[in-house]
Amino acid sequence: MKTTLALMKREYLEHRGAFLYAPLIILVLFGLSVAGSLFTDRVDMAVSVGAPTLGKMFEVGLVVMGGLWWAYLMAALFFYFADSFSADSRGNSMLFWKSMPVSDLRVLATKALSGALLFPAIIFAFALASATLLYLAVTVGAVRLPTLAPPLPADALSALANVGALALGYLGLSLLWYAPFYAWVGMLSTVFRRWSMPLAFLIPGIVGIMENLLLYGSGGPDGGYILSFLRSRFQFGFERGEMQGALFSDTPISAPALLSSLVETIDWTQMGIGLVVALGFIVAASEYRRRVLDK
Amino acid sequence: MTAAAEPIVTVRGLKKRFGRTEILHGLDFDIPSGRIYGLVGHNGAGKTTTLNAILGLTDYEGEVKVLGRDPYRNRARLMEDVAFISDVASLPRFLKVSEVLDLVEGIHPKFSRQRAMGFLEGTDVKPRAKVGNLSKGMIAQLHLAVVMAIDARLLVLDEPTLGLDITYRKRFYRRLIEDYMTENRTLLITTHQVDEIEFMLSDIIFIRDGAIVLNRPMEQVAQTYAQLVIADGDRAPAARALGPIYEETRFGQTVMVFEGRPRGQLSGFGALSTPTLSDLFVALMERPSGARS
Repeated sequence: MKTTLALMKREYLEHRGAFLYAPLIILVLFGLSVAGSLFTDRVDMAVSVGAPTLGKMFEVGLVVMGGLWWAYLMAALFFYFADSFSADSRGNSMLFWKSMPVSDLRVLATKALSGALLFPAIIFAFALASATLLYLAVTVGAVRLPTLAPPLPADALSALANVGALALGYLGLSLLWYAPFYAWVGMLSTVFRRWSMPLAFLIPGIVGIMENLLLYGSGGPDGGYILSFLRSRFQFGFERGEMQGALFSDTPISAPALLSSLVETIDWTQMGIGLVVALGFIVAASEYRRRVLDK
Repeated sequence: MTAAAEPIVTVRGLKKRFGRTEILHGLDFDIPSGRIYGLVGHNGAGKTTTLNAILGLTDYEGEVKVLGRDPYRNRARLMEDVAFISDVASLPRFLKVSEVLDLVEGIHPKFSRQRAMGFLEGTDVKPRAKVGNLSKGMIAQLHLAVVMAIDARLLVLDEPTLGLDITYRKRFYRRLIEDYMTENRTLLITTHQVDEIEFMLSDIIFIRDGAIVLNRPMEQVAQTYAQLVIADGDRAPAARALGPIYEETRFGQTVMVFEGRPRGQLSGFGALSTPTLSDLFVALMERPSGARS
């Protein structure tokens, strides 16, 4: 455990630019934007959209922000996996890491664990900080627009708890769903380093095109089996319109209801296969790293 | 052989191929505990490949045992008892000095942060400094402090002072001998600056084109090899008849290196001495192939 924590700390130190400094800058910019908008007439725009109450606006704001942070995390994780699996050879330091009593599999598994737990946790903390800013914004907005009542602290906390739980559940499930994709990029990075980024798309794309060229006219789904499988594998989320319905209804968002609905939409067999494939990619990457001394 | 007397490293029939080219041609040697071995050879002779096999960094044919374990299969476990520096510039540059120590402390069960800090006292390496901002010499000092603070039974150094100036090199080796070596520790070192490590070696291995040409304790080297400097050119033919393994002319004098020839037979021809390791290295490297000791 001590070793795992030390290796995770190393990941944090090496990649804090993407998962600490950049989010911090985004948060500061967000704070400045909110402060700026409160002292201009742009607050009126929000009202004219037709949001029924400031409480609902707060809830919608939380969901939108959660979505944006989620998108940031997913993109940052792609670059993280594309970089971290080959980062040990940067600056000729692979031999230093190899001199430590840690197996290649454990090193890569810790990198994957950092991508699955540590960095999402940090970004989630930033999302919560943004929520606090948003609450302040809504409260100050209510002062500026006396016709609107600010959400009561209890209601705001309830909204935060529900949206937070929803975000956490959605985040965890989406990370599990996309795990094979991240592991695929990581495995490619072990061999091809930064070229793993285009290759992560190029390799399945070429294989898909070859399938179409070789098997054209033999039936099957539009675009071929491979590309249509990948298309379906990239889709994750609520049923169409479900989230919008929850957002624009008069009742507050219910995390248990939305999460149970999300759980029902997930193809759990695919999820299981994906996790096994992800594990396979990490093991394959560790074997390559063990066998090929890439300084 | 008792467990205590078992060699730290046992190598039998070690071969390594890169593609169709065989780099190592079946090396055999043992490294007993408490010795300081020098592994010397030309660039491309197979030194680093041999070390990599010992450290479990590459696969191989033949048998290699380090502390009784197959290093390629058990590298992680082995690294608890084996420390190595394969390149002075291999410390991660994005970390600060204190972060390097934190990291190794968290990972290595036999690392003493206190000892490492002790080794760094009096140097210019400061805990808050970033490794990437240190000079090459300071990185070498830091790396040496890290490995010396690991209670390892075998320390392997592959060109540890490459690119460092003479001051750092001297300090590096002095520190190693004074602060690290004990009878329970074994050191295996490769370097091109043979003369700088000669004083500390207990044994020497010369490797040439993937084969061992010399594997002797240093005291046996002195007994086996003799260097004869002949000022009087007329005496050279008679000395040559005794079969030197190497001959050259230096400042008008004839220098010959003999192997296994009693010194009494040579003393009448000129000044007799034990060749330095670099002289012996040149002699054995230029010897016709196939003649191995």
